[in-house]
Amino acid sequence: MLSYILRRLAIAIPTLILVSMFIFTLQKILPGDPALALAGEERDAAALEFIREKYKLNDPIYEQYLAWAGGALKGDLGISLRTNQPVTELIGQKLPVTIQLAVMAIIIAFIIGIPMGVLSAVKKGTVFDYIANIVALSGLSIPNFWLGIMLILLVSVNLGWLPASGYVSPFIDPLRSLETMIMPAFVLGTALAATLMRHTRSAMLGVLRADYVRTARSKGLGETVVVIKHAFRNALLPIVTMTALLFGELLAGAVLTEQIFTIPGFGKLIVDAVFTRDYAVVQGVVLCTAVGYLLINLVADIVYFLLNPRMRSVL
Amino acid sequence: MHSDADSNPSPLLAVDNLTLRFSSASGNVVDGVSFSVSPGETLCIVGESGCGKSVTALSLMGLLPMPPAQITAGSAMFDGKDLLRMPRREMAAIRGNRMAMIFQEPMTSLNPAYRIGDQIAEVVLRHRPVTRKQARARALEMLDRVKIPAAVKRLDDYPHQLSGGMRQRVMIAMALANDPALLIADEPTTALDVTIQAQILQLIRTLQEETGTALIMITHDLGVVAEVGDRVAVMYAGRIVEQGSVDDVFIDPQHPYTLGLMSSIPSLSKREGRLTTIPGMVPTVDTMPPGCRFAPRCPFAGAECKAAVPPLTDLSPGHAAACIRAPLEAEAHFDGAVA
Ligand SMILES: Nc1ncnc2c1ncn2[C@@H]1O[C@H](COP(=O)(O)OP(=O)(O)OP(=O)(O)O)[C@@H](O)[C@H]1O
Ligand code: SF4
Ligand SMILES: [Mg+2]
Repeated sequence: MLSYILRRLAIAIPTLILVSMFIFTLQKILPGDPALALAGEERDAAALEFIREKYKLNDPIYEQYLAWAGGALKGDLGISLRTNQPVTELIGQKLPVTIQLAVMAIIIAFIIGIPMGVLSAVKKGTVFDYIANIVALSGLSIPNFWLGIMLILLVSVNLGWLPASGYVSPFIDPLRSLETMIMPAFVLGTALAATLMRHTRSAMLGVLRADYVRTARSKGLGETVVVIKHAFRNALLPIVTMTALLFGELLAGAVLTEQIFTIPGFGKLIVDAVFTRDYAVVQGVVLCTAVGYLLINLVADIVYFLLNPRMRSVL
Repeated sequence: MHSDADSNPSPLLAVDNLTLRFSSASGNVVDGVSFSVSPGETLCIVGESGCGKSVTALSLMGLLPMPPAQITAGSAMFDGKDLLRMPRREMAAIRGNRMAMIFQEPMTSLNPAYRIGDQIAEVVLRHRPVTRKQARARALEMLDRVKIPAAVKRLDDYPHQLSGGMRQRVMIAMALANDPALLIADEPTTALDVTIQAQILQLIRTLQEETGTALIMITHDLGVVAEVGDRVAVMYAGRIVEQGSVDDVFIDPQHPYTLGLMSSIPSLSKREGRLTTIPGMVPTVDTMPPGCRFAPRCPFAGAECKAAVPPLTDLSPGHAAACIRAPLEAEAHFDGAVA
């Protein structure tokens, strides 16, 4: 088990290095002079040169990269060109907000998507299955922003039940935090639930046809035991893989959702940084995302490993 | 309709006129099948691939997916109750308990996620008032009985750690764990290596003698019939065309299809020698000929064969065939020539 994790980590490291080189280079190639962006109104040559020197923008690109990567290893991702705050500090502030949103959204997605997927597979071809699929399809085709805005209009503006925006840390006021987060988490969660439901359904349809499910029935087991213990247990493997792949969708959805509900999270940080050409922040954020992606996949691999007896004995 | 109630005064299972179809096809996949099994007896059902053997067995176990399958007629009395009209709960109480089944596909019939000991214990726990510990002890006992070496260690193995033959032994252990009165074995050796086939067959026979369970052995292999069967039912295109004691049917086959099978008995050493030497093709469900379904391949066929379905008729006590020409002349043999 440990050797397996170590091996996965060993693959993760070169991946991270490649990703970091890629984003770093890409930024340098892209048009737009950060010095110009920083200088603002003052466009005289001396001021620009001063800025370039200060931020080492004149050094060869590999030196810039090494300096940045070296810092990153020590937890120093540079200084935001815009706010003058250390990038790590910015990320440290914004990341927990997004993690909270993401975790709540995933929980909502699981609670809705998995039982719906299991049920519609078991009741394949029935009215329930059709309705569930129509709901899921609508969930996929209704844009997040539209659902978000409608919810704000209905729940916040008309009914006044929940705040339309803002953020409170759960460590300060858990209840209030839940109140501010539940709507965005719902918007994000239902979109994921639709995907999750469709994948759970197809995974379940596959295992329900399996010979061992027939064997389970031949033992006289009740239908619930057959579906949950014998079928769903095996459908979990593809579902876990799927969930890890949802990470990208989750992040993209979070960026959008945070914009709609004006939540000061990671997504907002990314958007602001890109618009203001705040290179250090963009690099830090992308690196952080890549690490997150690799971590999620590692966790998914470990869960997969724990769920699959075949893997356990191979290693 | 023929009924062999007289040859079996108190059968354990009496199937009468079982008829079923799939919604995807127009014809009956199983058409008026009747047979019975006495306690402790072995009935072999033999026939070519696709003739409806598995479907028949699955319908008795209540394991046919319905829809698409649909039982349109017939009854199957077991322990005095009709299996085909039994509420789901009642059926589930019998399955794995009074009646059990082993399948054609040992590689995929065990759940890959659970240890084999637990999978055997599960069926014991389901039907008997025992503790987990007792169920596990029973699982161990059963692994011993099916001659799995080092059973104690194997108890915690996962299916993928076992060979096909070993997995089929586990399936047998599971099926017999609650001492069923009837065991249905659907081509239990077809998927296995030849040497393993003989071992598994031998094992089933030994266990049957020890436990006194009745056995329905489904096979496409007359060699298997000769080895394990008391009685045999020959199936062709969803119908039973000949039925009788193994001796009667082997010594004096009365249906042209049975004759054809005899002349193409595959030797046990050659699995590829499946029953393919009768010229022509098995009709598909959608292209069933009227009257005798064997007529297109039958060297004795005449116009009257297509007029009506020949009923399964007793020729001697306990020996019946569904052919208008039966009893065949002593000289009749299958020369493979189709007019
Ligand atoms: N789920 C299904 N839907 C439609 N047709 C089916 C289904 N299952 C079986 N059939 C059809 O029923 C017929 C009988 O199939 P069955 O599996 O009983 O054959 P078999 O005698 O067991 O053959 P084999 O020796 O290959 O196992 C076949 O023609 C098959 O195509
Ligand atoms: S009824 Fe006619 S076609 Fe059918 S088996 Fe007998 S002789 Fe052949
Ligand atoms: Mg079959």
